[in-house]
Amino acid sequence: MLDRRELFRNALMAGLGASLPAEAMAAGLAAAAQPQWALALGDVEDDIAPRSLTRLHGRLPQDLAGTLYRNGPALFRRGGTAVNHWFDGDGLVRAYACRDGEVTLRARFVDTTKRRVESGLGRIVQPGFATPARAGAVVASSDDTNAANTHVIAAGGRLLALWEAGSAHALDPATLATSGPVTFRPDLKAMPFLAHPRIEASGRIWNLGLSGRHAWVWRLSASGTFEAGQLITMPRASYMHDFTMTQRHLVIVLQPWLHEKASLPFSTGMVWRPEQGTRVLVIDKDDLTRQRVFELPALFFFHLGDGWEDRGGTIHFDGAFDDSPLFATETAAAMVEGRYPRTERPLLKLISLYPDGRARISATSTTAEFPRNPVGNAGPRPTYHVGGYRPERPFARSIGRWDWQRGRGAEYDFGAHQIVEEFVPAGRWLVGTTINMTARATEFHVLDSHHIDAGPVASFRADVALPHSFHGSWVAA
Amino acid sequence: MKIIALIAALMAATPAASASLTVSFAVTEVPTGQIMLSLYDSETAHDRGGKPARVAAVAVKEGKAVAQFDGLAPGRYAVKSFHDVDGDGKMAVTPFGMPTEPFAFSNNAQPQGGPPAWAATSFAVEGDAVTHSITIR
Repeated sequence: MLDRRELFRNALMAGLGASLPAEAMAAGLAAAAQPQWALALGDVEDDIAPRSLTRLHGRLPQDLAGTLYRNGPALFRRGGTAVNHWFDGDGLVRAYACRDGEVTLRARFVDTTKRRVESGLGRIVQPGFATPARAGAVVASSDDTNAANTHVIAAGGRLLALWEAGSAHALDPATLATSGPVTFRPDLKAMPFLAHPRIEASGRIWNLGLSGRHAWVWRLSASGTFEAGQLITMPRASYMHDFTMTQRHLVIVLQPWLHEKASLPFSTGMVWRPEQGTRVLVIDKDDLTRQRVFELPALFFFHLGDGWEDRGGTIHFDGAFDDSPLFATETAAAMVEGRYPRTERPLLKLISLYPDGRARISATSTTAEFPRNPVGNAGPRPTYHVGGYRPERPFARSIGRWDWQRGRGAEYDFGAHQIVEEFVPAGRWLVGTTINMTARATEFHVLDSHHIDAGPVASFRADVALPHSFHGSWVAA
Repeated sequence: MKIIALIAALMAATPAASASLTVSFAVTEVPTGQIMLSLYDSETAHDRGGKPARVAAVAVKEGKAVAQFDGLAPGRYAVKSFHDVDGDGKMAVTPFGMPTEPFAFSNNAQPQGGPPAWAATSFAVEGDAVTHSITIR
């Protein structure tokens, strides 16, 4: 069966009647036709040795000492082959260490089975979110396809590089060396562990692992050790990248992108059923059998903000919502080929779940993704997000702060030449990275979370452009 | 009639064509426990969850185990095996039913999201001294 990339190449060959070797022609076309933003899906060939960033302006705040760890796919092509989707590249964990006024960068690929198999063959063969298995693939367990490319958190003196359909991989926070997939208990080997664990003010970690209508509810201590796990059955088998939580409840949004058959790659088993609407499952953290279900119109999302409950018992949470899975099914696949077809832009919306069973969506007109909230905040809190999405190019170009109490936001636009990645709260500050397409370099910025619209208080530039990362964590020194 | 009786007598005296197979295992997880294996003699049974021709459980000693099958009809066979590390006679699974003990197939055929098919795992057993090696990682 032809996969998307092969179809694309065959179409080119047929259209041009080329006699050139296919790979040489594809490389030539790629070089000529790639848009500037293709830097965000470029290939990093090797680990990045430690290096200092150049200070562009401002000073690192005195109280900002620590490391911003980030993770994201950074190798998409090997030999004449490529992954079929942005989500299927190899995870590269980057560490931006802030100390004594300086920022240093190092980055290392997570040493996964997928990466070992493919580097041995010099080809992309392992199936993924939307990449099919090819000759030479080895899939004995979900961890054999684990790209470990989505998020990185710190717990118990180690880093956990996260994906969503397999184990967390443990890394050394100083060297970023991989020690391997984490088995929290022998019978939980290679169990799915979503890339978006929710962390309480106490540091306790909650997460889900999914298999169709079943979810394994993970509970880990603040130091990342196994505390409890329980299997629950949900009303439907939705695709889920993230869930959220209040002090008392887990909140699981079941969008109508449904897993209807077990097939590889994963995305081929999904069907969009908007007529079935969205359901929200609310579970008591003290007794997982105590559940409520709310109904909403069809929504599509990847990311939610932290939830909270008001005095009347109403649960609120926000997120970045689309009207369909178009980005997941088409856009993020085309982007690997340097194309940006028609797509939707995600909007920041608030969902409220009332004690009487009603559910309501409050929309903003703010385009937003990668929502983050101050750590351990149980009540109403600001949401920091990227935004400024435009129809003519992918990726965000601004950073925003939205206040649901006042119903207003602030935004700083980095400009048309910048691709803005997720920013993470670090005490009073927000830290994050951008890809400067003019300088062809990754930049590190610090913003004052109370004065987003003033722009960075300090900016630094690396001597390398790393591809767009997904998520990360600030670890104070 | 005498001729027919003679032929019948000769047939009875000559054993039916028979083969034997020795399967040797090397394991990598721990050097103890046992190997549980199923030996298949048909593509249908192997690929569609049918019954194996033979089954065996053999102890692992110093990381190795050997299973011996005699009196097999010559033909093609395939092995599915797992390393029963805890020795409880069952494949241990996660809450989602995924195996957690190491497993392997004849020809060391690699799974691709499911067990490999007969085309990849089957091998010829002709004669009385066929040996086959499987590594269980």
